[in-house]
Amino acid sequence: MKTVTRRELLKKTAIMAAGGAILLNRPVCTWAIDGSASSRVVLIRNQQLYAGGDTPDAAVCEQMIDEAVCRLTGYKTPAEAWASIIKPSDTVGIKTNQWNGLPTPPEVNETLKARVLTVGVPEDRVSVDDRGVKQNPVFRDATALINTRPMRTHAWSGVGTLLKNYIMFAEKPSDYHEDSCSVLGSLQELPMVKGKTRLHILVMFTPQFHHVAPSKFSEEYSWKYNGLLAGFDPVAVDSTGLRIIEAKRREYFKEDRPLNPPAKHIAAADTRYHLGTSDPSKIELIKLGWDENSYV
Amino acid sequence: MCCIWRYVFVVCSICLSGMVYSQKVEVMKHLPEQFDGYKVSEWLDYEGEALYDYINGGAELYLSYGLTGMTGCKYSGEGLPQITVEIYEMTSSANAFGVYTQSRDREEIEYGQGSQSFDDFVLFWKDRYYVIITSQKIMPESVKAIHHLASLVDRAIPKTGDKPAIVNVLPQKNLVPGGYLYFHHYIWINAYLFIADYNIINISSETDAVLAKYGDADARCYLLAVEYSDADTAKAACKQLKDKFAPESTDARSKLQLEDGTFFMTWTQEKLLYAIFNGNSSGQVEELYRLTVKN
Repeated sequence: MKTVTRRELLKKTAIMAAGGAILLNRPVCTWAIDGSASSRVVLIRNQQLYAGGDTPDAAVCEQMIDEAVCRLTGYKTPAEAWASIIKPSDTVGIKTNQWNGLPTPPEVNETLKARVLTVGVPEDRVSVDDRGVKQNPVFRDATALINTRPMRTHAWSGVGTLLKNYIMFAEKPSDYHEDSCSVLGSLQELPMVKGKTRLHILVMFTPQFHHVAPSKFSEEYSWKYNGLLAGFDPVAVDSTGLRIIEAKRREYFKEDRPLNPPAKHIAAADTRYHLGTSDPSKIELIKLGWDENSYV
Repeated sequence: MCCIWRYVFVVCSICLSGMVYSQKVEVMKHLPEQFDGYKVSEWLDYEGEALYDYINGGAELYLSYGLTGMTGCKYSGEGLPQITVEIYEMTSSANAFGVYTQSRDREEIEYGQGSQSFDDFVLFWKDRYYVIITSQKIMPESVKAIHHLASLVDRAIPKTGDKPAIVNVLPQKNLVPGGYLYFHHYIWINAYLFIADYNIINISSETDAVLAKYGDADARCYLLAVEYSDADTAKAACKQLKDKFAPESTDARSKLQLEDGTFFMTWTQEKLLYAIFNGNSSGQVEELYRLTVKN
């Protein structure tokens, strides 16, 4: 794998005469694959998501997902948009995340499942699961996957991402911890996964931008961003989420504070595994809804 | 003869593991089964890589500091947020201190030999133990409870331990309070600023390293110190760093102003490699160099 140092980034930045310090703590986007078409990512935010308290409003959540999927696919109605993603003949696994501190909100899981059912997939061929995916018969027979999870900082991979969310498909997840999880992109080659993912949704309702302990969700280090990111390219979606996390860290700590360790796996998914685009200049970001402090 | 040594080894191993086990049990004995509306809902006991079962990839942080085991428990109470007590036992007090430096943002000594508290967590280190007590939500009862438990665990750990000797090389002038990290896994070299995405200076479990912040946030520079097994190894690592960061420098300490206007410098002193990154001026770097050498 190509390696990179601070000095090499400085030289590159000097040549580009742009980007400066922002690039330095974020090597992710500096060596993206060339020549690929831009990847579309939809960011949607809604200020009313938590208007009722600490639980996301289910109706607002549904509306956000529908609008994001419409803009992502280019279809006018959610029915058309979902029909372009899932076929009635599909068997669909919705890979969620159950981490105790910050799980995928049930409102997101339920909306995704409801939309898959609306397309005409029978209920017994749709399943939402995380740690049991390897044994789950729906996932074992799946023809389509939907990948969804919240973003948070992570003690070994830098950030918990859509790319990382598939680690539960691995026979032995710890085999993917090497070099601060830089090999996570290879999960996409697993037979249960390869070529099956139809949609990625990175939940940014209350992302966690810093942590004090791997096992602990910290209210102090999370905030109501009220957003979600949707796309077909997991690298582009994760890369955009990472930019939001990094911007929040700069704002909170009042200094550049790189992720520790850096989220190498996002860059590697681009350059080593060619799964998508991590370079923001090659990502078509469509922003919908509430824009205040969106950070991207 | 060989058999005798094997016998001695087995007996020693049994005794040592027994000692470690009894110490863990001793600390745990001080945790109440119930108090102030809380009751133990689950006991925790993980050793080595079994910690993956508890926190998946997050376990690597502790494993990179020589984790021997984690014990603790979860407390639940009606209408109260769940509280979790995690007592991580490391191979040395230096390693317990190292894990602590990964988490703390400021220096407090309310508990143990160094601690940090928010309303929803207390963390501290003492001897070979790194302790985290967290509550799922913040309520007045839970805030009181986590501090009560922190006091109990603190008292249950009978002695203190030494910080790693390498932290003594850090000059105190302009050192950011709580702004240094002790480690011996290359992954953590980028904790404060991005340096390299690979093991550029051969950091391993046999090397002690410390990375420290100096100066105000708007004029921040960083000092890295790594102790190797011998001077030749330190020199070889220093050459690798120089080759990547300042190959054109003619300065004996590889001092060089980089493309972003900041100053870099690296040198060795006996078994130690030093490097200064992000210096704001030649004078700042020279002063930090002078103070470090004097140490």
